[in-house]
Formats: sequence, structure tokens, C-alpha cells
Amino acid sequence: MPNPESAAIGRWKQAERALPLATLVVLLWVGIGALYFQLSLPGRLPREGNYRDVAATLAKEALPGDVLLLYPWWIERARLFVSGTPVVGYLGSDVNRLSGHARIWVLAQPELPRSDRAGFERKFLPGRSPLQPPRRFGTLELSLYRNDFYRPVVFSAVQEYRSARAYVEDPGRGRLDCPFDGKVHRCGEAEQLRVAAEWHELRYEPRHCLSMHPPGGSRRIVAEFPALPLGDRLVLEAGIVGEHASGRQPELTPVRAAVEDMASGARLLELAISPGQEEMQRVERPVSADLPVALRVWVQSDNPASRETCLELSSDRAAAR
Amino acid sequence: MSQAMAVTPRWAEKDSWIAAALFAASMVALIATQAPVGFVRDESVYFVAAQSYARWLEELFRTPGQALTDAAILRAFEINHEHPALMKMAFGLSHLVFHEWLGVLKPAAAFRLPAFAVASLIPALSYLLGRWLYGRAAGLWAAISFLLVPRQFFNAHLACFDVPIAAFWLLTVYTFLRAQREERFWIWCGLSFGAALATKHNGWFLPFVLAPLGVARAWFLTRESPAARTWLGRWVGLGAGISLLFAILWVTQGPGRFVGSFTALSPAAALLALGAVGTVVTLRGLYRAQQSAFRAVAPLGAMALLGPAIFYLHWPYLWHHPVERAAWYFDFHATHVHYAWFYLGRLLRNPPFPLDYVVVKTALTVPISIFAPMVFGLAALGGRAIAALFDRWRSLLPSFAEAVVAVNAVAPILIISHPNVPHFGGVKHWFPAMPFLALLGGMVVAGAARGSVAALRRRWPAVGLPALAVPLFAVLFAPALIATARNHPYGTSYYSELAGGLPGAATLGMQRQFWSNNVTGVLEWLNAHAPPNARVWLHEVTGLAFQEYQLNGMLRRDIRAASGPWDAEIAAYQYHQEFREHEMNIWQAFDTVTPVTGLYLDETPQVIVYQRR
Repeated sequence: MPNPESAAIGRWKQAERALPLATLVVLLWVGIGALYFQLSLPGRLPREGNYRDVAATLAKEALPGDVLLLYPWWIERARLFVSGTPVVGYLGSDVNRLSGHARIWVLAQPELPRSDRAGFERKFLPGRSPLQPPRRFGTLELSLYRNDFYRPVVFSAVQEYRSARAYVEDPGRGRLDCPFDGKVHRCGEAEQLRVAAEWHELRYEPRHCLSMHPPGGSRRIVAEFPALPLGDRLVLEAGIVGEHASGRQPELTPVRAAVEDMASGARLLELAISPGQEEMQRVERPVSADLPVALRVWVQSDNPASRETCLELSSDRAAAR
Repeated sequence: MSQAMAVTPRWAEKDSWIAAALFAASMVALIATQAPVGFVRDESVYFVAAQSYARWLEELFRTPGQALTDAAILRAFEINHEHPALMKMAFGLSHLVFHEWLGVLKPAAAFRLPAFAVASLIPALSYLLGRWLYGRAAGLWAAISFLLVPRQFFNAHLACFDVPIAAFWLLTVYTFLRAQREERFWIWCGLSFGAALATKHNGWFLPFVLAPLGVARAWFLTRESPAARTWLGRWVGLGAGISLLFAILWVTQGPGRFVGSFTALSPAAALLALGAVGTVVTLRGLYRAQQSAFRAVAPLGAMALLGPAIFYLHWPYLWHHPVERAAWYFDFHATHVHYAWFYLGRLLRNPPFPLDYVVVKTALTVPISIFAPMVFGLAALGGRAIAALFDRWRSLLPSFAEAVVAVNAVAPILIISHPNVPHFGGVKHWFPAMPFLALLGGMVVAGAARGSVAALRRRWPAVGLPALAVPLFAVLFAPALIATARNHPYGTSYYSELAGGLPGAATLGMQRQFWSNNVTGVLEWLNAHAPPNARVWLHEVTGLAFQEYQLNGMLRRDIRAASGPWDAEIAAYQYHQEFREHEMNIWQAFDTVTPVTGLYLDETPQVIVYQRR
């Protein structure tokens, strides 16, 4: 009878002899794979001429109101070359509805490592229809889509802020006017107390928004807009600028922002931004487009420290089909 | 392989020459590639500190009585007293000699020269240790692979402490292992540990890593010698007792009073003296009872006595107020601030940090052809340790030296993996683990080559090891070499094939860079395009680094540093996810969203330059 233990040892000895060869094969496979990756990577990247061709195409074919969306979101080198068409690319831009734009050009680099075209399309395509087949410029791919989320903007506080009247309101005590100096409504000596259209980051997204830092306590910073035509929807968006948004320290207080009808005093929209809320907060309501309405928007926070607020008050309407 | 340690190592002359050649080759490689390496934020401060320390050394030489006063010491050493002085003194002296006196090197190269030398110890020591444990091929693999990891290659250029602490950690472990077999090597272990403590605070973890190993070995060796075991027990008991008493003093007095009452005649000082005397007495007893057991723990005794002594003696800042200034130092590192760090699509700002961070970051930043053997090596040792639990596979038990290597490959990673430990700084904080992981990689690659040759010889008897090892090394090193060459000098941006390179890492949501040195990628453009006397804001670049770029001829001297976009004509923004608002500030200040140039590595934006309209 064969000894089962010696048979097992024999098998182990065989395996022990095979192990180095198996390891060698695996190592060679890894090495050759890595070598292929390193050697092929430069060929998966676009050349400067490719960008120039894309820019020339956009200069020729893009319409006012078009936007260029980047995929993946971080391929911002395109911004060196493209002018005249706004370029959107930030962490999270794949799901931006871009509702202010009727058409979206998508500049993609599908050959980049870890490119997940299908994942992008799952997020991007619903509500969009292709208007042209994709065109290749080296490793760049340019596509044009109709944006079914498009809603023409009728009123934008960022666009109209120059005509606003701004002041700091201390309920029951009075107002401090914020005279307009041609660019900014400045409220006294404090640099941060101002109303102005500025670029700011809100949860990675570059936003051109209305900077309105809360004065602190029960005081509010207010911007009044004269009677302007509205669309069928009024939207208030507000957020804390930059890295301060993520703070949750106990001394931080919520920011309140509200929109009121100046004639009736009725509160039309209101939102609160709690410490730690990094995204732009958003509220909306339907409005009647029949009559122009004068509006005021205000911002308040008990403790103004690290509560630099940026907002947009807008009104849009359904696009004609 | 496990029997390798059973053979007394013969430190053949040939191996010493190979180690020396590896040291020299590393020096040459680092010197040849140093010029374009930018000045990282910390380094710019170390340059100034180094000059200050060197001035003090000059003063010490000229007017020792004056230089030794606390006021003079404070004037010189107050700057950057967050870190010990050893490397900064070396940087300063090198600058003094090679730049100021001899004028043969530019300022930055002169500062960095000692860093190159200490970094070059790693390939040499890795070779010697690998040669001893697993043979020449494994030693060569470990030596070469360390500098073929692009982030390690980059850091080896810097007048900083992350690679030097890895070198001194390795040196301490190397001398610890040699002390197990060779007379008097324990003294070198103590001195190496002192150098580690004098380099960076990571060194203080070494005793926690090595002590259990040394004591366990001594315990095993004294199993048949009751007298030796008694002396060993006394020494361990002494250490445990003193540690306990220190802990009681700390808890009962509180940190403030404990530090305040730590005077020459205090209970704490008496405990220290008791520990020192007791260590000498008990280890002397152990030496007489059993020399092999003595050799197992003598390096630990030397570390305990020499390490803190060197730490104190090398750093004049501690001389007049050792306890409170050392206490400040420890408190600074124990309560270090957390910087924002982008990891897998989210910004880590505060603890607790993800437990997997260090492992994932290592996997994504070590070239896969070097990383895979490391993983296989660690798994093989683990597998052998588990198999050895069974009688029939007892012979697979890893040797003591292998256990030491494995523990040191894992310990620095485990320490930084703690969710409350600061997680910024890329991979540099666990560099001390990397030479040991490289050794395990060497074990696998050399083992695969050797074993395969043995198998092939049954059919082709003429096949020799080099015939297989050389092409295997070439295939595995080639991708790392290409990546290192393509990536240099932007080492903090490198990501491996596993990540998908820099583009893959950007899509994964990984930190693209840090430390500001990538600004060198746009300096040439600035020199060519900035108007005369232009005010330029180099985001994240310290004022000191700005000056160094000018001093080293990398930036035009007429260009002036702006403090922000508001007073700048040109701004170079460093792309960090947590700094996006800074770029928006540039858009706002310059009234443009269109950059004029930038540094884009494999398409990933790193530095973006804007010019005021």
C-alpha cells in the first residue's frame, strides 16, 4: 500500500518546484504589462495641434449660448485654447444640468486610462440628444448635444446687480447704505460687507455669483432689485464659499437667505445653510410671468465668521420647442 | 531561504565593493538629476535654518564662550525647532564649504549634498542586507528598486528628513541584525538609533518595533540557561517597572507639572539614572551568563542609553532647557495639525481618516513591477509563518532576520494607518518601510529566477542564473525607469500603472501634487514672458522658496513676489482640490478665466498660469 503521507509530500515537492516558475511567469506578465502601459501612454494623449483644431471648430460652429463640457472633468488643458465658448469641467460637472445652455459640446478623451465613457454617458445622456456624430481630433473627441434641460434665463441677480440697491439692515434700528462704486456695492469700512458679482468655488464648482457676506447678529445684508420681468420659475441658490463650507465647529451658525416681494412683503423663497453643508442649496417656486415684481434678497447669520456666502437669484422659463 | 541566517555571514570584500559602487552610483544619479528639482515648502525653511545653524557652528569655533549661551543658541536654533538639527547642520555645513568657501556648487545643490549621501546609504545597506538574507541578486534588486520608485527618487533629492530617516531606520535595523552575530555591533546600533532620533521623530518608534523582537529572541535563547534568563528577566522587569513609574508620574502630576518638576534632583531624573545604571548592570550580568542572549538585547540597551544621549547632545537647542523644549517638540508632533488631502474623490480634512489609506496610496504610487514582488514577498513570509504552525512544515518558519525585515516592512505603515495620525504628505511618512518591502521584493524576484534556473537546468544544464535574472530584472525595472524619467522632477505627482498613471489617478480623485515644487514647470515661461519687474504670485510657493529660485538662477531676479492675485500681474495657481477658491480669486482679480500657460503632466493640470488683462 502506498503511504498517503509520502504521496502528499511528493505532491508538495512538485508544487514547490513549480512555484518559482509560476512566480516567474506572473512577474513577467506584470512587467510586460507595465512596460506596455508606459510605452503606450504617450500615444493616448492629445497633441497641442489637436486642441487647436478643436478650438478652430468651436470658433466656427459654436453658437452664442453654447457650452463646452469636459470629460473627464479634469482635462482643463482645453481652456488654454478655447475662447468664446464657456468651458465647464469640475468634480461633479458630469451631472450639471447646464440649464442655461441650449446646446452642449462635449470634449472627451476616451482613450485615457480609467476612462469610463459608459459611466459618463449614464449620467450625461438622459435629457440630451446628439445633434452631430462625434468628430475625432487625434485622441480628442468632440460631440454636440441638444440640452433638453435648457430653460432660458429671464432674470439673473448676477447680471442685474449693478442696478440693485444694497444696504445692511438692522431690524428695528435702521439701515447702512452700500453705495455702488461702479463694480461693487460697498457697505462701510468692512471689506467683506459688499454686494458684487464674483467668481467663487462652491463645492468645487466655479460659480459667478453674488457675494453677500452676512453682517452678523440679527443684521442682514440686502439687495433690492427693481421691478423686472420674470419667467415661470423663481430660483434661489446659495452656498458658503470655499473650504469654510465644510466646517462644523460649534461656534459656526447657519446662514439664512430669503427672497421677498417688496410690494407685499411676502416671503417667496427661503433657505438655510447649516455648518458642514458644502453644496449650493437651492429652492424654487413657480411664479407668474404676467407682472414684473420688485424683489429683495437678504442674507443673515448670527456669527458671520467663516460664513462668506455667495448666491444667485434667477428666474427662467420653459424653452420653446 | 529560511536557513540563510543560520550561516554566519561572510562579509566578502566583493560585496563591500558592490555596496560602495551602489552608494557611488546613487550619488552620481542624484547629483546628475538634482538641478531641475523644485524647492518644496519645508525645504525652503530648512535652507534658512541650515544657514543659521552653520553660522552658529562658526561662532562656536571662533567664540565658544559666547556661542554656548542660551541666548546665542536660541538666536541660531529657534528657527525650525520642530525638528532636530542633525541633517540641517549637515546641510548648512555643506553649503558653507561647497558654496560659500569653495564656490563649486550652487546654493541648493550644496545644501542638498548631505541628503544625497544619506539617501545613497539606502541602496548600499539594502544590498548588504539582501545579500546576507537572500543572496546577491536579491540584494541588487532591493538596492536598485528603491530609487526606481519615482516618489522615492524625487524625495531623495530634497534637503528634508523623510529619506534620511528611512536611511537611519534601515541602518539601525541593519546594525541590530549584525549585532546578533558580531561582537560589539550593539554600539553601532545605539549610534545609528541616535542618528535616527537626531533626524526625525519617526525614530522614536524604532524601540517599539525592535524591542519585542530582541527580547523574544533572547527569551528563546535562554531557555536552557536559568542564570541568563534571570538576568534577562531583571532587565526586562527594570524597563517595565521604570516605564510604569513614569506613566504613574505622568498621570498623577499631569503633563504640565510632570515637565515642570523634571529637574536634576527630581523622581523622574532618579528613575532615568536608575534605568541607565540598571541597564548596564543587568546586561553585564547577562553577558557573563550567556553571550548569545546578550547580543540579542544589547543593541536595545545601547539604543536606550545612546539614542536619547545623542538626541540631547547633538541639538544645542535642548542644552539649557532639555525637558521643556523636548516636551514642546513631542507635543508639537503629537498634536500636529491636519492638512486637507484629496483621496478617492473626497477631501480628507479631519480624522478619523480611512484605515485603508496608506495601503491604497502605496499600491497606487509604487510602480507595479516593483510593488507586486513586495506583496508576494510579504504574503510568502506570512504564508510560511502560518504553515510553520504545523509540525510537518516547521522548517518553513521564517528566520529571525526575516521576521525583523517583515516587521519593519509593516510597522511604519501600521503607525501611519492609524485613523488619527495626520495623512498629508503623500507617501513620505512611511518611507522607512520601503527598503524592507524592497528586500521582500528581492527575495521573490531572486527566488523566482533561482528556482526557475534550477528547473530549467534539468533540461538545459548550461543555463546560469544571470541568463534569467538579468532579463527578468530588465523587464521589471524598465517600466519603473521609464516612469521615473518621464515624471522627473515632479515626484509628488507620480502614480503607478495600477492607478492608470497620472490620468487614472486624476479620475480616481487622488491628490495630484503637494509641496509646491511643480512650479518649476512654468518658471521658464515666466522668465521668457513676464514683463520687466513683474509682480508674480506663485501660489503655495513660500517667499523663501521664491528667493531660492532666484538665487539658483531658475527665476529672473527682477521678478517680484506678489502676496496674492490682487497685487499680481501674473499668477501661477497650483491645482489642489482644496484650493479651488484660490483659482476663482485669480479669475476675479484678473477678470479672465482663460489661462496663458500651465504645467499639464499627462494632461493633468498641475500649475495653471494667468496673466492680468
